[in-house]
Amino acid sequence: GRGGMRGGKKVVVEPHRHEGVFISRGKEDALVTLNMVPGESVYGEKRISVEDGEKKIEYRAWNPFRSKLAAAILGGVDKIHIKPGCKVLYLGAASGTTVSHVSDIVGPEGLVYAVEFSHRSGRDLINVAKKRTNIIPIIEDARHPHKYRMLVGMVDTVFADVAQPDQARIVAINAHHFLKNGGHVVISIKANCIDSTAAPEAVFAEEVNKLKAEKIKPQEQLTLEPYERDHAVVVGCYRPPAKKTG
Amino acid sequence: MAQSMFILYEHSSGYALFRVKEFEDVGLLQPQVEASVTDLSLFNSLVKLAAFSPFKSGTNALDNMNSVSEGLVHEDLRLFLETSVPKSTKKEKVIVGVGDSKLGAAIVEELGISCQHTGVVPEIIRGVRCHFPNLVKGLTEQSAAKAQLGLGHSYSRAKVKFNVNRVDNMII
Repeated sequence: GRGGMRGGKKVVVEPHRHEGVFISRGKEDALVTLNMVPGESVYGEKRISVEDGEKKIEYRAWNPFRSKLAAAILGGVDKIHIKPGCKVLYLGAASGTTVSHVSDIVGPEGLVYAVEFSHRSGRDLINVAKKRTNIIPIIEDARHPHKYRMLVGMVDTVFADVAQPDQARIVAINAHHFLKNGGHVVISIKANCIDSTAAPEAVFAEEVNKLKAEKIKPQEQLTLEPYERDHAVVVGCYRPPAKKTG
Repeated sequence: MAQSMFILYEHSSGYALFRVKEFEDVGLLQPQVEASVTDLSLFNSLVKLAAFSPFKSGTNALDNMNSVSEGLVHEDLRLFLETSVPKSTKKEKVIVGVGDSKLGAAIVEELGISCQHTGVVPEIIRGVRCHFPNLVKGLTEQSAAKAQLGLGHSYSRAKVKFNVNRVDNMII
């Protein structure tokens, strides 16, 4: 018979609580984003077509086992700070799988500055960016933002999935360069990558302390169970506006 | 001795030089700058465009970016600074704020212009980055992004030594 998501009429797509993200309700519910380049998959993910009167709208399935941002959304994160029209600095873009979904969410009015150091993944990232003109590929070391300062404007949000021991510092220097006052950071932390001997909770707490020291006020923290082990996502506000007194 | 400060800002579309309003105490300037980063009219009263030199072509932009990211003074940047930055005199010292200490050192050495990359400078550069399309005539949010997109692709492609004729060209 026909597999999984097919059978157009039975699938209904509803907007998610997070603007720009959707849920498809079929035989199985799935997280999806509006495909910016209809007719094409980026990494072999399923596409779901929905008829909207005369028009056909296409969505792409977003797998939480392959994307920490998707895992965070399904884990119930309160705010992702990525929505249509947003400018996002994405550190650790890898081959551009999650980046492609962020590109779907921010849409044609938004921008994704995607930084990746590995040349092997970088090649894939450049190819993804060729078809999605809201992605600016940057093959450079995120430890040295001054090297790519000519390419990046001020952003609303810094998303980081760099899996490096000095991750907090990497996020902080990029925030100092490119993140608006009152902008947000969303960081995926893999405990193992920072200290494989300490308890994950202790590692997360230590990372949060490092962020606090860099004018980043932590707002939210959640683990990515059951999709990832010993992973946490931390959301923070950079230079939050002073509370008005009186 | 009076001091006048300029800020060098490198953008995908070209080099820009800004004059910072005269100030006496840097300590007083810092909070002012921090507040103005979010407000264009406030920032405009603090910083003024002195010169802008667009890159001639995509190749020219890439050439310049390669120098900037390595902290080297490109020939175009040398020309731009030579023509746009006034000479220091006995009465007035000219300082140029730059975004990278290495480039600053290179400018001091090759052009004899005093540079600074700490203190209030990073904060002013944040402000310039925030308002750049509004500070340069003829530039819009869209055209600025387009310049970044084009340069991002050419810079990154050169980095991975991507060969347009052979898609799979591994580097060993």
